Amino acid sequence: MRRLFLLTLPGLAVGFLAGVLAGGLTAIVGQSVDAALVAALALGVPLALMGGGYTMLLINRKVRLGGFAPVALYWLIGFPLARLLHELILTWYVGGTPTLPPDTLGFLAFQGIISAGFAIGFLWLHERVAPYWWRRLAETDADARAVYSRYAEYATVMFEARERRRASRGQRPGTSGKAASRAR
Amino acid sequence: MVDSHDAPAAGLSGEAGSEGSEVTVADTGGEERVWRAGKLEPMPIRPLPDAPPSIHLLGPTVFLLALGVGMGESYMWPRLVLVFGPEIRWLFLIGVTLQAVVMLEMARYAMATGESIFTGAARVFKPIMWFFFVTAILVYMWPGHLSAGMSALEQLTGIPWVVSACVVLILVGILFSLASVIYDVLEKILGFLIGVLVVGTAIIASIAGSWGDLTSTLSGMFAFGYLPDGMMSAEWFPIVVGSIAFAGPSGMQQMWYTLHLRESGAGMGAHVPKIRSLRTSGEQEKIPAHGFMFDTSNPDEMAKWRGWRRWITFDAFLLFWGITMLVTISFTVLAQSAARENPNVKTIIENGDRSAALQAMSDSFASVGGSVLGGLFFGFIAMIGINATLGLFDSFSRGQADMTFFHFPGAKRFKMSHLYAGFLWGVITFGILILLFGPADGPEGILDILAFLSTFAMGAYCVVLLLVNNRMLPKPIRPKWWSNAIIGFGAVFYLGMLFYCMIRFGVVDLG
Repeated sequence: MRRLFLLTLPGLAVGFLAGVLAGGLTAIVGQSVDAALVAALALGVPLALMGGGYTMLLINRKVRLGGFAPVALYWLIGFPLARLLHELILTWYVGGTPTLPPDTLGFLAFQGIISAGFAIGFLWLHERVAPYWWRRLAETDADARAVYSRYAEYATVMFEARERRRASRGQRPGTSGKAASRAR
Repeated sequence: MVDSHDAPAAGLSGEAGSEGSEVTVADTGGEERVWRAGKLEPMPIRPLPDAPPSIHLLGPTVFLLALGVGMGESYMWPRLVLVFGPEIRWLFLIGVTLQAVVMLEMARYAMATGESIFTGAARVFKPIMWFFFVTAILVYMWPGHLSAGMSALEQLTGIPWVVSACVVLILVGILFSLASVIYDVLEKILGFLIGVLVVGTAIIASIAGSWGDLTSTLSGMFAFGYLPDGMMSAEWFPIVVGSIAFAGPSGMQQMWYTLHLRESGAGMGAHVPKIRSLRTSGEQEKIPAHGFMFDTSNPDEMAKWRGWRRWITFDAFLLFWGITMLVTISFTVLAQSAARENPNVKTIIENGDRSAALQAMSDSFASVGGSVLGGLFFGFIAMIGINATLGLFDSFSRGQADMTFFHFPGAKRFKMSHLYAGFLWGVITFGILILLFGPADGPEGILDILAFLSTFAMGAYCVVLLLVNNRMLPKPIRPKWWSNAIIGFGAVFYLGMLFYCMIRFGVVDLG
């Protein structure tokens, strides 16, 4: 369990922080600390679990690295569900009975459209955090090593290209590249 | 220098200096093919690096977003929606789409040559570049852009905005002077802040907004041709035009984007070393006096070029266009929601007092979502202000250092990093002095001139783009007719509307 937690931490963390920072805090209406906590966790935890799920799909090669379409599709389902759960928990905590939002279908459709924006931000942050985290885990965890190596392959290509460019900058003009050989 | 052995990749005009041509030069090391454009030094032919997968090189767009997503998106457009209804947003769609095409065309020159658009302008006619050099100083040395963000911070923390603005200025200077490679550090910071801004505004809009707000906002984007009566008045027409012009990046921000593209190693920018900070200026690699061109007659190179164009198109339309749209839709939904909760908000926003409007929106959110939601709203406004400041100071210093280094006689004896630091600390020192002793937006008497220059620069860079991309690049990589038509429309729109407002209404401040 701990291993799974560590492996999926990037998605868990981005989802949780997004939910707690922006969502949970908004539900505090001069209420007690425990009410604020419930409000924060009611959105933070579902988004964290969904975020962790996305990371798991990435690790298992079910979605491609950095692809926008899969993450948008994923959150098209995940974000409205998380928000629905958020509403249910809040109404249950405040009123004692979990209550669906009025015009539930309209609510879900609205959340579905907003999910595209959330997906861009989630992917943006995830791609900035995940490679660094998996690099830390790579020494001890084979799955982390595998997924990190996919990022590293790309980084290696970029690094080699940069080294080639540096080398070509160091050469005399006219001695590098296809163009120069053609010119001679 | 001898004529090219090969058929030129671009049309040979036969008049070196008036249009691009490919030639072979002889030097002490042998012969080398070069691309000659304008009267500046020719560009040696070098290999074009492979294009990266789309999402992996987010960098340069971060800067354009940091600069572009500002008051227009969070305040000006929500205000217009409340005054004229959501149907007015079709004009925003046109403004941002135009800016996305400008971004693609700016990137064309920067990725093909590794040069900034300023050097491109100098290749066409050097005084054009000096016009932008002077305009940048006149328009961007005033620290007024900090006021909105720091005022929001004042609402949150109670710290007087002048104090926090001075502290931010000094911190920015220290950060950019101590970081090893300025671009890398700034890209990480801005990337994180923009990521938080995007997920945060999406979630707040999902809680505070409603299906009705969103559908009216979205459907309003396609109400093409909607022109309400009041819009054509002297009071509103310049504001509407200014809002279209400033949808997304405004002033010279798109031009600076070419510097960030080069710095991120996009296209032929990979052949130009990155700028080091003052602390690590000793490690600054020698910066070549010219850009580079790739072999456009080689099908393999052209395949790589198409890869770069795909990458930049993804950046322009998904990231830049998409995120700008998302933030403005979210803030519009928020403004509508605030106005519904509290009808007074509508009146205050319509009256045009920005601070009062932001305060009213914050109060309205606090009334429905608690004081924290109101605070969070100010938090995002402050974050937008800080993003813009970080991006603006780096961009200004980078642009001025670039023009000075490449085109000011004798400037090459300095390192690029020293010139960058000079402009950075110059604008910071001036900014602090003005914040403490002068008008933050600039002296009253020249405010109109500054506003005029800011919009004029946008029309001017459209003209420059047409000249540079169609005359200084090889034919196979020049823009298509439709792209030229859109940029041409941009030039006519920005300059035409500016002069129309000036002549018809006597107004030049469109912001």
